[in-house]
Amino acid sequence: MDYIVLAQQIANGLVNGMTYVLIATGLTLVFSVLHIINFAHGEFYMLGAFFTYFAAKLLGVDYISAAVIATLAVAALGVLANRLFFWPLRKEHEFTILLSSLGLALLLTNGGELLFGADPKYVDSPFADSIVQAGQLVVTQQRVLIFVVGAVILLALNLFIRHSRMGKMMRATAQNPEGAALTGVNIRQVYTVTFVLACGLAALAGALVGPTAMIFPTVGSWAVLKGFIVVILGGLGSIPGALIGGLSLGVIEALAGGYISLGFAQAIGYAIIIIVLLWRPQGLFGIARRT
Amino acid sequence: MPSRILLPLVIVLALAAPFLTANTYFHHLMVLWMLFSLLALSLNVIIGYIGELSFGHAAFFGIGAYTAALIGMNFGLAGIPGLVLAAIVAGLFGFVIGYVSLRIVGPQFAILTLGFGSIIYTITNYWVDLTRGPMGISNIQPLGLWGEGGPALTGARGYYYLTLFLVIAFAYACHALLNSRTGRAFIATRENAPLAASLGIDVFRIKLLGFVVATAVAGVAGGVYAHYLTVITPDVMSLQYVAALIIMVIVGGRGTIAGPIIGALIYVALLEALRALGPLRLVIFAALLTASVIFLPGGIVSLWRRITGEDTRPREAAE
Amino acid sequence: MKKTRWILTAAAALLAGSIFGASAEDKAPVRIGTIAPLSGPGAFDGQLAVEGMEAMAALINEKGGVLGGRKLELVKYDDKGNPEEGVSAAKRAIEQDDVDVIVGGWFSSVALTMKEVTRDRILNIMTSTQHPNTTKEGHKYLFRLNATSTMMSDTYSKFICDKMGLKTIAFITINDDYGRLEVENYRKLLGQCGIEILGNEFYNKEDTDFTTALTKLKALNPDAIYVSAINTAQGATIYRQIKQTGYQGTTIASAGNMNPKLVELSGKALEGVYSVSLYAPDSDNPRLKAWAEQYGKMFSNEPAFIGTLGAQAVELIAGAMDEVGDARDYEKLAAALKAHPWDTLLGTITFDDIGQAQQNIYLVQVKDGKITSVKE
Repeated sequence: MDYIVLAQQIANGLVNGMTYVLIATGLTLVFSVLHIINFAHGEFYMLGAFFTYFAAKLLGVDYISAAVIATLAVAALGVLANRLFFWPLRKEHEFTILLSSLGLALLLTNGGELLFGADPKYVDSPFADSIVQAGQLVVTQQRVLIFVVGAVILLALNLFIRHSRMGKMMRATAQNPEGAALTGVNIRQVYTVTFVLACGLAALAGALVGPTAMIFPTVGSWAVLKGFIVVILGGLGSIPGALIGGLSLGVIEALAGGYISLGFAQAIGYAIIIIVLLWRPQGLFGIARRT
Repeated sequence: MPSRILLPLVIVLALAAPFLTANTYFHHLMVLWMLFSLLALSLNVIIGYIGELSFGHAAFFGIGAYTAALIGMNFGLAGIPGLVLAAIVAGLFGFVIGYVSLRIVGPQFAILTLGFGSIIYTITNYWVDLTRGPMGISNIQPLGLWGEGGPALTGARGYYYLTLFLVIAFAYACHALLNSRTGRAFIATRENAPLAASLGIDVFRIKLLGFVVATAVAGVAGGVYAHYLTVITPDVMSLQYVAALIIMVIVGGRGTIAGPIIGALIYVALLEALRALGPLRLVIFAALLTASVIFLPGGIVSLWRRITGEDTRPREAAE
Repeated sequence: MKKTRWILTAAAALLAGSIFGASAEDKAPVRIGTIAPLSGPGAFDGQLAVEGMEAMAALINEKGGVLGGRKLELVKYDDKGNPEEGVSAAKRAIEQDDVDVIVGGWFSSVALTMKEVTRDRILNIMTSTQHPNTTKEGHKYLFRLNATSTMMSDTYSKFICDKMGLKTIAFITINDDYGRLEVENYRKLLGQCGIEILGNEFYNKEDTDFTTALTKLKALNPDAIYVSAINTAQGATIYRQIKQTGYQGTTIASAGNMNPKLVELSGKALEGVYSVSLYAPDSDNPRLKAWAEQYGKMFSNEPAFIGTLGAQAVELIAGAMDEVGDARDYEKLAAALKAHPWDTLLGTITFDDIGQAQQNIYLVQVKDGKITSVKE
């Protein structure tokens, strides 16, 4: 019996962890390529969930199509966000860019509250309440979906960055922006693609997680915090780091909450991150920061 | 030099301000402005002088507030002893956390401070026997000189003068520091740590010193806040305050003395002025904030520089 | 480039200036300072509350207002569900805006601190707060409409003990003063009638996923899980996730926290679930019907319990003012409210010496997606 509870908690943790991974991957991508810490990242997660809700409601499409539409729409918004809030500031101090993203986050949250209304909403999915039972383990189909889609998308992203031309340009920019520009990399295009990918990933996470909880315009702040912790834990700029970091944080929180104290679960998560950072300041998979 | 005339003028205005109106709500706003100024100035030591971003500053504010409140409630020392202890306890936490985190720089440092801040918040929220948990502490007695009995500050006007004094004193200390040897060591450390180290500056010690001072001052601000508002909850340590303080420092102008004070004024006045807009209030606030960052990346004080051509940035090397 | 920046900053300054200077003058309406959570996690509940007040004020104004023709006007303040913001809002309402009365206290933590600002200065009607100390440590002009959580749990526990046939129960409660008090009350009351309490999990007000806690509770295998959730979004998530963990037992909803939105969001997960409330939506009180109709005309939400409390506050204020013939004589207003029973949209209400209301508590159940009162 006890092993079943343990296995159940680990399964819960892995699914929550996968949502952290999806959120963190976008953050880490923007940081590694553009050296921007984007506080508004969580708001794109929020928009992903809301767009899914409205796409299903206003266009009358099913959940899967709504999620795809929302992901694409928010990815397109990424172009706009970059053009207005990040590209013009690329030469400014990092604190200035950070504050600009904080302003964007406030704008989207409060604008969302105004546009979408204060009432919580529920993204209806046919998979939300359908239970998959494996032995005595109970998981909903939606949670299985989160895990599988997350894994597939990460794999695809990894292939894209490793093998496509754009992926190579992004890596070149990450290593040395000036050098990359000199060799003919279109930095502006790199900025755009990076934001499109990051915002799309965040929106996808929102669309997937939407049906597991109620959505409201302030969910983004939660998402960005989790994303940051995972990114730092795994190592800034490292996609495998985001994967391992996210899954471990999810499992750590589930076990800490399940066996020690639910209220302290988050604090225990933080404590572990602090220990990891003191041991490896660059994070589990990070490379030491070059100055 | 217009600043020679300007500074005394500003101080005289600040001293006279509460007598311009009998409106106690206006006095309340002035107290908030001064409290936030003190906090923003202290955070500015970390952001502007050390050159690191701290997401944990509200925790030290909260530690100061809880220390002063508990000392006042349990030992009847709501006064100078309480505030001094608030500074010491917050500074001690600052020392330990700074000692551990300051070896790390950049975003990792920011997240470390966020982590420590969050742990302190969680403990405050759950250690109900000590802190009364989420319900917070209410009915905190007013600030006396030396605990109970004797004169006590009650009206907003009194708290305004107290906080104004603290702000002027700390601003002067920052000014004196920047013009001292230690101050130059600070700037050298912020601009180029390896170079500073090669010049024989103990970079880590300088940073730790700045961090402890900043957290201790935040503790004092917390203590005054607790006695002034008479109620505190763990929410004083929430991210909302962290973000607000960072906004004040950067919108005002980091690394300057006038900047954080102006930033605090804008924060308090703008939110109050926008109240009439109802639900649009925070949207407009966010829009103005973002616009100011995009159009005035150097902060509001950089406007002054544009008008007068005077350099308000104290010895900031070209970036 | 430089010029456009200048113009923009100047425009921003102008905008800020013009708003600061603006203030509307009317011919002396009675102004009700309304302090509620209008942003942040409690925003929706605050919105329902204020809408309830608006509808009642409109109804009274239609009939000519109070005190021979003075209209009721709500002056709204956002407390963000945060005690310090509540204190600031109350200060502003009294010292700057000079309102006639204050209605507030939707959350206990806010009510408990706000009452120190209003203490003996202004008539202050507290609405949905359930913490006993709100009135126990109250003041001369303080009234509270909701039943305390102790009164609620006295009624509710009798039903749970007598009618539900449970042997074991587990709790999931919010970690605040309200939640802690609930657990304490029910441990005692349910323990007395022989229901074993297997466990309790506290969650935080910012949590969005409860599977960890629910997995733990499910493993204890209780006959019922009692859910204490004041926030609609968190409540609906918990009810859904209880079913999603495969729990087959009974779900019990905490007292006073059932509203149509919660039912809509929770879907099948709330079907058949019990709660207690001061508000029976299927009551045929004509005052309630008139209010609900007005509410429907003005707002798109369905009227909720929290809205009826706001409406009741406005109704009582108007009644007391008309009886006393003054909007500011707080001594007389307080005496009038305590003097006799009042007929309101929720039925008859009486106040005791410390301003605590006594009103009917109904048992309600969700049936076919509607909140219905259980007739015994």
